[in-house]
Amino acid sequence: MAHANRSLKNILLRHEVLLLLVLGCEIAYFLGFARNFGTADNLTNIIRHSAEIGLLALAMMPVIVTGGIDLSIGSLMGLCAVLFGVLTHDAHMATLPAAAVTLAVGLAAGAFNALLITALRLPPLIVTLGTYSLFRGLAEAVTQGTKTYRDFDPSFLSLGEARWLGVPFQAWCLIGGALFYGVLVHATTLGRSFRSIGFSPEGTRYAGISVQKRTALPYLLSGLVAAVAALLFTARLRQARADAGTGYELLAITAVVLGGTSIFGGTGSVYGTLAGIAAIAVLNNGIGRVPLVLKAGIGSELAALCTGALLLIALAAPGIGRILSNLGQRRAAGAPSAPKLEKN
Amino acid sequence: MTEPLLRLSQISKSFGAVRALKGVSFELHPGEVHALLGENGAGKSTLIKVVTGAHTPDGGLLEISGQAVHNLTPTRAQALGIACIYQQPALFPDLSVSENIGLRLESPAVWGRVYWRQRREKAMSLLKRIGADIHPETLVNRLSMPEQQLVEIACALGSGARTVIMDEPTASLTRSEQELLFAVVRDLRASGAGVVYISHRLEEIFALADRVTVLRDGESICTRPVRSDSGEMQLSEEELIQLMVGREVSAIYPPKGRSPGETVLELKNVSCAAGNVSEVSLTVRAGEVVGLAGLVGAGRTELARVLFGITPADSGSVRLNGKDVRIQSPRQAVELGIAYVPEDRRRHGVILQMPIAQNMSMAVHPKLFPGKWLRFGAEKALGLRFIQELGIKAYGPEAPGGSLSGGNQQKVSLARWLATEPKLLILDEPTQGVDVGAKSEIHRIIRNLAEQGLAVVMISSDLPEVLGMSDRICVMRGGRLVASLEGVDATADSIMAAALKAH
Repeated sequence: MAHANRSLKNILLRHEVLLLLVLGCEIAYFLGFARNFGTADNLTNIIRHSAEIGLLALAMMPVIVTGGIDLSIGSLMGLCAVLFGVLTHDAHMATLPAAAVTLAVGLAAGAFNALLITALRLPPLIVTLGTYSLFRGLAEAVTQGTKTYRDFDPSFLSLGEARWLGVPFQAWCLIGGALFYGVLVHATTLGRSFRSIGFSPEGTRYAGISVQKRTALPYLLSGLVAAVAALLFTARLRQARADAGTGYELLAITAVVLGGTSIFGGTGSVYGTLAGIAAIAVLNNGIGRVPLVLKAGIGSELAALCTGALLLIALAAPGIGRILSNLGQRRAAGAPSAPKLEKN
Repeated sequence: MTEPLLRLSQISKSFGAVRALKGVSFELHPGEVHALLGENGAGKSTLIKVVTGAHTPDGGLLEISGQAVHNLTPTRAQALGIACIYQQPALFPDLSVSENIGLRLESPAVWGRVYWRQRREKAMSLLKRIGADIHPETLVNRLSMPEQQLVEIACALGSGARTVIMDEPTASLTRSEQELLFAVVRDLRASGAGVVYISHRLEEIFALADRVTVLRDGESICTRPVRSDSGEMQLSEEELIQLMVGREVSAIYPPKGRSPGETVLELKNVSCAAGNVSEVSLTVRAGEVVGLAGLVGAGRTELARVLFGITPADSGSVRLNGKDVRIQSPRQAVELGIAYVPEDRRRHGVILQMPIAQNMSMAVHPKLFPGKWLRFGAEKALGLRFIQELGIKAYGPEAPGGSLSGGNQQKVSLARWLATEPKLLILDEPTQGVDVGAKSEIHRIIRNLAEQGLAVVMISSDLPEVLGMSDRICVMRGGRLVASLEGVDATADSIMAAALKAH
């Protein structure tokens, strides 16, 4: 049957597979042309720098699968970083309890989003746009926009450089996050219901699944993950400022969508998101190491440009493919390649 | 005799395999109120849509004022003097009455300029003409439903329409508003316009109509004058109902159940203000199929939604297997052993993008996947089991719901609920949009389930189906249960009479 045939083609044309190809091309190009790209040091570097965005993207993925969005996580990261600074410096708390409080506040902020979205049935885009400003504003109010917290506990700061079994600490965080979300989304009934809610909230309700409760969960978790990312960020940069994580929510969304998750909800995979994160991280790191770019000093600008282009191409590719194959079929059938306009 | 405003000869129209109109003929003369009668799904709406240009007929001839018209579009229909007032007024809620009237009637001026004063005066005079006490500057969202309908009528008048179609215009009107509307209709008739009047309320037809045409199964059965020339009534309600129903139970239905078992569901005075359900008392026993008949909007689906916890009941008591229960959410209903196969299959019954096995497992997640861990093997087995048991035509459990035909989707929706092993199964229009073959299969499945001791409530607008399948038939009207018919008392005529008549 044509069915089996088509499924093979489908596997090859799977978004994740295409994305891995893109990633492969990136790596091959940078290995050939970028300076010091393929060193072990640089691999560590890539992982260290992409851990926070990676975690945020993993947290964003189930949110988008339910058909929602969380724009507040970058701002929440800033708020949590500042809070951690306040607790350790101004309140003279020990690192561990301060970190625990920070995580609890992250969770509470996520719960606040979830409450507005599920109990009051407000659109996620608007709710998290509101908390996006709210959380950042709070962080800036606390620091008066200028204060930077430094001199954290050395044992906390060492996390930024730490390795375990030769693998950077941040990589373990990413692996842990990926495993957690992979299992949640792909192996539990919770993940299954995120999907069905993304496809049809009403249909899910009619199947006797409590849609509101299930929808709340990804927002709760994304609040918690934003707090984790804030701690990692603080340990890596050795300082906490109100502008931590600015713009990270958009990068996270980019990684998720690039990874094949539909912005309308329903479809998506955690491994696709991981590939999306990798494609962006490698691009950002490698492009700054291409000699010409290095000389011109436009690494980060060009990286942003290429990330955007990559996203648009990835989204447009299936449509373009369809148009091309339609054209091919019409040619083959000997029909005109464009429908003629009928005159009245 | 003068030229008819509207003449339809042998109009036919199909949607896919469904033949909505099979050669309908209809005439409307100037100065006439012509009632169009028929059951749900008899083809009235389709016929109107043909006349207003929303549907192009597949065959037959449509003449407007003596001119044969082909390729009618809504704009052209309007230009030819046809106006339609729908049950649900289609006005812009955030604009004022005069703006709404202006948008319908004015053609764009140079530079799109708006002549506000003329617009207001025009609206004022039109509203005055129909005796409506509405200020032209009121925003439409401040108007009640009947007031909005009056605005629609004003638009129809203002457009100079000679043919006015009214689709159940009194459905939401109070008594005095009805009188106002009747006066407007009589006024239209006196001015030489023709009115096509659709209503389920037979008394209105006797009060208003000059002639009646009855549609049944997409065919025009007959056209009769309501009164003789001397003014005597020539038709009775009974006769009209007979004409509307007038068919044998043609399909073969499985034999009915013998003796029902214990009471499964007992409702006492259940009401839900949000859902148009008032004081419904009903008993359903194990092994029994109770048919729920009535017109669209009579409160049947609403009752099902109350029982399934989508719109919980405000008052009254629900007993399930002898225990008082309060059903507040679908989740709770499922836990109590209630299953609801919804009417809108594509929106509520099946998630089209998901594989059918995943659709079937949705309501049994806690049972099939203990500890919330998905077990793909068990899910696939469930899918294969129901594919076989219900004879679902799909290439496998992983086929997306949307790839199946309507009848097979319905079976998937049914399978989802059979997997819960319910005590009470509520089916809402289980064979709507389903082809004939799948229909009788679904009937057989329903009867088998009842024989296995399930209590079944079947909502259906398909009279032969209700008659053929039900052990007992309850009729709803206006949110109330108005009749319970059994055995020889349950006939198409008695059901329609209960569904239509005022007390």
